[in-house]
Order: sequence, then structure tokens, then C-alpha cells
Amino acid sequence: MASLITCPHCGVRPKEEFSIRGAAGPVRPSPSARQEVWHAYAYVRDNPKGRYQEYWHHAGGCRRWLVVDRDNVTHAVFAVIDATEWHKTAGSRI
Amino acid sequence: MALNLVHRHVLDDHISGFETGKNPNHLSVARRPVIFSVLALQGRDGDVGAALSSVAGFSVRCSGPGEWLIVSDTIGPEAAAGALAAIDGATFADQSDGKVLMALYGPSARKILAKCVAVDLHRDVFAKGYSASMLCCQVASNVMRTMDDQFEIILPRSYAGFVFETMMEMGREYALTAGFASP
Ligand SMILES: [Zn+2]
Repeated sequence: MASLITCPHCGVRPKEEFSIRGAAGPVRPSPSARQEVWHAYAYVRDNPKGRYQEYWHHAGGCRRWLVVDRDNVTHAVFAVIDATEWHKTAGSRI
Repeated sequence: MALNLVHRHVLDDHISGFETGKNPNHLSVARRPVIFSVLALQGRDGDVGAALSSVAGFSVRCSGPGEWLIVSDTIGPEAAAGALAAIDGATFADQSDGKVLMALYGPSARKILAKCVAVDLHRDVFAKGYSASMLCCQVASNVMRTMDDQFEIILPRSYAGFVFETMMEMGREYALTAGFASP
């Protein structure tokens, strides 16, 4: 586990200050989406090995939601951004 | 029937019975601090931040983007609420009863606090006047360096006893003493 996370608001912080809240990749379906779509969003998640993006909540610091881009094999952290920034660029990832 | 409400500080039981003399390293607990939390409306971070720091008597602590804690020694709670209500784009709440404010000072203050937080406290990084939210003794707190060898910690009232005991333990090798600040 990556043990030091550079919060864009608080600087370098230990991982104990954060709570990990799951993959940031899946896009929330519209409220009127079919039940199967919601089921897939809520329950059917990948368990990737390697690089992926996750929501981290900086519970012990600024209390902002962040997206941590990291590799869960090598523990390398590539980027940490505020979740608002992440959602601003959501269109370009799909 | 007359009802007498006596103000008791949450740390009264922890501090009473301690030796009264202060050592150079001392933990001073404020009895009746005035603490407000302030949130800026979306997009108003800059305006509100500037307005807050221009109010005389306010000590402004950053607790996140667009979020602050205001501490005042000189302004009463009503006056502070009035000053905050006059700031356009700010919402606020009185946290005085929910928070505990303590100051850790002395030649070993940094060494003691370094055992309680996992943040670099070197004065080049954590300079005088700098404040941030962080875990202090595993409790979400706000820490500010008020002087070279003085830090102020704001923490939730419900955890104050635990943090106080832990900090005293961390300060034992430096002969840390504790007491309420004289008003
Ligand atoms: Zn943060």
C-alpha cells in the first residue's frame, strides 16, 4: 500500500488520514437507467491488478474527496487530484 | 426552583490535581475559547478568505479549501457572529462548545508534537502562521504554528481527554506540564 499520499490541498500525508472509497472509473448511471445498469454499477466491479484510479476521502485532513491514480502492485502513486477536477475531465475519459 | 448551570470544562477532571507550577514545556488549555467554523459558498473562497483575515481580532485557521476555523481571544461570541454575518458569501457555525483549544509551547514543543502528528513540522515547511487539519493523536484536529516554539491545537471536545492524556505521555520525557490558561 502506498503509505504517503500527496494531497493537493494538504501536502504529504500518511495513508492513515484517508479512507479508501472504491474505484473512481465507473460512471454513475442516470436515475432513470434500467435496473440491470444500476445493478452493474452498484455491485459488479472489477478487481484490477496494476494501475487504477480510486476515490480517497481525506477524512483526517481537508475532508475533500480525492482521486488517487496508483499502481496496486508496485505501490507507485502517479497522481492525486481533487474529485471535482476528476469529474471536470470525465468526458475525455469515456 | 432555581437552576444553576455551572460551566465545567471537559478537561477539568484531567487537569485538577496537577502540579500548579509551569515548566518550560507547557500545555495550556483555554477555558472558554471562541471558535467558529466558516464555509465559503461555491466560488467565493478568495473573497471570504480575504474578508476573514481583515477582521481585527480574528485568528484564521485553514481547515480545507473554502473552509476555516476562526479563533478569537478578544471578541465575544456574539460580536464574532455579527462580524461573520457581515461577510458576503460565508456561512458559519459557533463551535465554541464543541471544540477544545490548547496551546503547546516551550523549547521542545516541536519534538513533542512530532510524536503526535505525521506531518513535517520543520519551520521551513510548517512556518509560523501556517495551519492545517491533520490527525493529532489519531484524532482529526487543526494545528497552527502560532510562534516558533508554540502550536495551537483545536480538537473535538469528545476526544479531548484522550488527546490530552496522550500528549502528556508524549511530553513526559520533556517534563511537560499542563493547566488552564489564566484568563
Ligand atoms: Zn487534504
